[in-house]
Amino acid sequence: MQVRVNNLTFAYTQKLILNDVSFNLESGEFLTLVGKNGTGKSTLIKCLLKILKVPDGTVFFDNVDINAIKLFKNVGYVPQKVEFSYEFPITVSEILTSAYLKVKDEYFNKVINSLGINPFYRDNINNLSGGQFQKVMIARALLNHPQLLILDEPTVGIDNESMLALYEVLEKLKEKKVTIIISTHDTDFSKDLSDYYLELNEVGVFRIYK
Amino acid sequence: MILTAPSFIESLINFEPLRYALIAGICIGFIAPLTGSVVIIRRLSFIADTLSHFSLAGVTVGIFLSKLLSHVININPIYMGVLFSIGGTFIIELLRGFYKNYKELSMTILLSMGVALSGLFIALTPGISTSYTTGLLFGSIMSVDKNDVLVTLITSALILIFTAIFYKQIVSLCFDETHARISGINVRLLQLAITVILAVVISVFLELVGVLLISALLIVPVSASILIGNSFRQTITTAIVFSEISIITGFYISFKLVLPIGSTVALLNILILAGVMLFVRIRKRYVKKSET
Ligand SMILES: Nc1ncnc2c1ncn2[C@@H]1O[C@H](COP(=O)(O)OP(=O)(O)O)[C@@H](O)[C@H]1O
Ligand SMILES: [Mg+2]
Repeated sequence: MQVRVNNLTFAYTQKLILNDVSFNLESGEFLTLVGKNGTGKSTLIKCLLKILKVPDGTVFFDNVDINAIKLFKNVGYVPQKVEFSYEFPITVSEILTSAYLKVKDEYFNKVINSLGINPFYRDNINNLSGGQFQKVMIARALLNHPQLLILDEPTVGIDNESMLALYEVLEKLKEKKVTIIISTHDTDFSKDLSDYYLELNEVGVFRIYK
Repeated sequence: MILTAPSFIESLINFEPLRYALIAGICIGFIAPLTGSVVIIRRLSFIADTLSHFSLAGVTVGIFLSKLLSHVININPIYMGVLFSIGGTFIIELLRGFYKNYKELSMTILLSMGVALSGLFIALTPGISTSYTTGLLFGSIMSVDKNDVLVTLITSALILIFTAIFYKQIVSLCFDETHARISGINVRLLQLAITVILAVVISVFLELVGVLLISALLIVPVSASILIGNSFRQTITTAIVFSEISIITGFYISFKLVLPIGSTVALLNILILAGVMLFVRIRKRYVKKSET
C-alpha cells in the first residue's frame, strides 16, 4: 500500500507535537520512526490510523484521503499499549480467532507458529508475560492480511529469539510488498530492512534520511 | 420432596399460564446474561437502567392508548415499550451532544422523564389496577399469554442468530474497540445494533420481570461468572448456567412457597454470586497456603 503524508501538523490542545511532516512510501517500503520518548512517534502513528483526527488532504493511502475511507482494509496495527478497561476474562485464542473473520486455515496457523504462540495459545491473557502479550498483538495485526503494517515499539520486552522471529516475519512481508512503519529505539533491529528513517524531536521538527 | 415434586410437574402440564411463564423464563434466563455480558464490558449498565425506565413510560402510554382506543385498534403495550426504548437510545445520543464532560447527564435526564411519564399515564388511565402497576415494577410473569411467549421466543431467537453471526466482531469490539475499527469492523453500526438489541430485550422482558429487576437478571449472573471464568466463551456460558439455575429453582420455590417469581429469581442470582465470592476467597487462601 502506498502512503503519502502532506504537511501534517498536530497539536494536543496547546503543545505542538508534529510540525509540517511530509513523506511518501511506496508499496513494500520500510520506514523506521526514531526519536526520544515523548517526541510524537505514537502521535504520528495515531494520526495515520484515524485514532487522532487530521485535516482533509494530509494523509493518503493509495491516493485516497483517509478521511474519505469509511472502513480500513488490510491495515495492521500493533499498539504500544492496549488499554484494558475491564476485567472480563479472555484467552489468547479468543483474541486471535476473533481477529480472523475467516475460519482457521493454514495462514492462521502459520502466523501463530512463526511467532511461537502455541505454548500459551489457550491461556488467559492475564497470565501472559509482557513479551508474550506483545507477540499476540503482533499476530493479531498479521491476521488482518495487512498491506500496510504499523508497529509502535513492538520490540519492547521481547527476548532475542522472538526479536529474530519478528525480524524474519517483517522481512518476508517486505518481500511481499507490504508497506511497514515501525517505531523503535532499537535502530539496530531494523537496520537492514529500513529504507528510510524519520526522526522526530521535542520541538516538533522532523528529519527524514536513508 | 419426591412426593411433592410431581405436583409442580403436573401443574406444568395442566396449568397453561405456568407453562407459558416457564418457557418465557427459560428464554430470559438465556438471553439476559448473554446481553448482560456485553452490557458490562461496554459499560452500558446505566443505559440499561435508563432504558428500562423509559420503556416503562412507553408501556404506560401504550396502556393509556389501548384503553382510549380499545374499540378502534388493539395495541399491545409491549410494542409501545419497544418503541420508547429504541427511541430512548437515540435521545441519549442526541442529549450527549449538549454535554462534553457530563455525558451521563443525558441518561439521568431520560430516566427522570421516563419515571415522570409513567406516573402521569398511570394516573391518566382509568381503571388501572394496582396489581398491574406492581407487575410493571416487579414483574408479572404468571400473567403472560400465548402472544407474549411468542414475542419472547422470536426475540430470543433473533438475538441468538445475531450473536452467532457476529460473534467474532462482538468479541473484537469488546476487547479492543480501536483495533476493531482499524481492522475494518463497522464499529458504529455494531454498537448501534447492540444498543437497539439491548433496548428490545429490556422492553420485551419488562412485563415479565419488571422494571426494577431487569438489571438483576442482566448483570448479576455475569458478575458471578467473571470472577471464575478463564475465557470469554466460558464466562458467558457459566453466566447462562447460573441464570437458568436461578430461574428454574426460582420457579419451583415460588410455586411451592407462593412467593413472587421475579424477586425469588433475583435473590437466587445474588445468592449464587455470594457463593462464588466465597469460593474465590477460599480458593485464594488455599492457593496461598499451598504455595508457602
Ligand atoms: N492524549 C494526549 N493529550 C495530551 N498530550 C498528549 C496525549 N498523548 C500524548 N501526549 C503528549 O504528546 C507528546 C508525544 O507523545 P507520544 O506521541 O506518545 O510520544 P512517543 O511515542 O514518541 O514517546 C508527549 O509529550 C505526550 O506527553
Ligand atoms: Mg510511543
